[in-house]
Amino acid sequence: MSDKKFFVSRYEKLGWKYRNVNLKQAIRINTMNSKEAEVVKRLQSHGIKLDKIPFLQSGYRVSWSEFSVGATSEYLMGLYSIQEAAAQIPVILFTELTDKTVLDACAAPGGKTVQLADLMQNTGAIIALDTKKQRLTALSNHLERCRVSNTIVYHMDARRSSRLNMKFDKILLDAPCSGNFATDKHWFRKRTINDVKRNAKLQKEILAESAKILKDNGEIVYATCSLEPEENEFNIDWAIKNLNLQIEKIDCYGEKAQTNIFGKQLDSSIENCRRIWPQKTQGFFVCKLIKCECK
Amino acid sequence: MIEPITDFVSRFNTRISLDQRLILRKKNHYFLIDDNLKRSVRKGFFYAGTYLGKTKNGKFFPSFSLLRLIAEQDANQIAVDEKTEWLFICGRDVFKRGIKKVKGSKRKGDYTLVLNQQGECLGFGKILRDLNEKIKNGVTIQNISDIGDFLRREKKD
Repeated sequence: MSDKKFFVSRYEKLGWKYRNVNLKQAIRINTMNSKEAEVVKRLQSHGIKLDKIPFLQSGYRVSWSEFSVGATSEYLMGLYSIQEAAAQIPVILFTELTDKTVLDACAAPGGKTVQLADLMQNTGAIIALDTKKQRLTALSNHLERCRVSNTIVYHMDARRSSRLNMKFDKILLDAPCSGNFATDKHWFRKRTINDVKRNAKLQKEILAESAKILKDNGEIVYATCSLEPEENEFNIDWAIKNLNLQIEKIDCYGEKAQTNIFGKQLDSSIENCRRIWPQKTQGFFVCKLIKCECK
Repeated sequence: MIEPITDFVSRFNTRISLDQRLILRKKNHYFLIDDNLKRSVRKGFFYAGTYLGKTKNGKFFPSFSLLRLIAEQDANQIAVDEKTEWLFICGRDVFKRGIKKVKGSKRKGDYTLVLNQQGECLGFGKILRDLNEKIKNGVTIQNISDIGDFLRREKKD
């Protein structure tokens, strides 16, 4: 069986019929830098057509533009970011970010770091980590362009983050993952189940380290853009059984995650995670975990 | 430690007050943090708070955040029309006819910030001929740095 057939048959077992998707570009207004309505008006005055994305706070789909929305003076002044619609979901799941200490464990290229800073209105502190130096440069440029002033960036593997000697109120774990076909047309040719297993192992290690440095009652938002259960439901099932974490119900775009996958029965609270199949957005998985108070 | 910054700012005929305690230097890069970040910052950071700029071969290269801080002061600045705004962020110099307003120095050789009609800072340049000079057109401000640089950096990466 080719890798494509293999993966598509797995999606069918999860109740989703494979179809190709054609994604529209999405943007998110940085409300810390300007009023949303003013930015929309300015972009419309350039002839850019925008549609509000109903399940997001400040997200818009670009339904038409004569030129790249990444080349306007408004973009260069950090009034908005280009950020895929599903990728805007994880950050909005945190409760009350103002003045908090937040870890962005796998931060580059920084779309979600900027979104965090935006929701925090540049208060508190964000510690942003990534392992690749070149990606850190892109992240730093992104922070400078969007006028983020509450972030410290380290060249660090998230599996070593306890070396910072800090405890965090919130942790965004936008985990390195296998991705999905909606954003990569060669995905099926490139990916094998071994990649998925390797990523799942790495994600577990980062989850374990994150649980160590999270304050009691602190929140982890775990997200991947992978459709593979090993990187999503299976990992979360493992986390709640091994890391003193519990799943908090979230209310966002997407469908309930399944609790019985490929014949394996998972914890019933897994249904409080959200699985997003590619259609109007790319594929995504999100979940919110709370650290139980020390016994 | 912050001399390169204060010297640069003075070229706009203004000053900004920076708390030395809150300036971090990482090799040749300068960052401004607040007390909250000061408590969180650890050795070996890559980027922190607000990036102010860097020195290279004895010359200071400001960040756009620093230019925005300068723009909040009573600094030399010109406001340009929409067409000139676009040309400027594409790396072009400013022609006399594109200038709508001048504040501060009009003297040849001085630095001036370049702002759009909304008062947002697009970069800075050097005054090539006195802005009082009675000429209809010609290059007046030499582009030294503009926000189009963010795009150029993305392409370079």
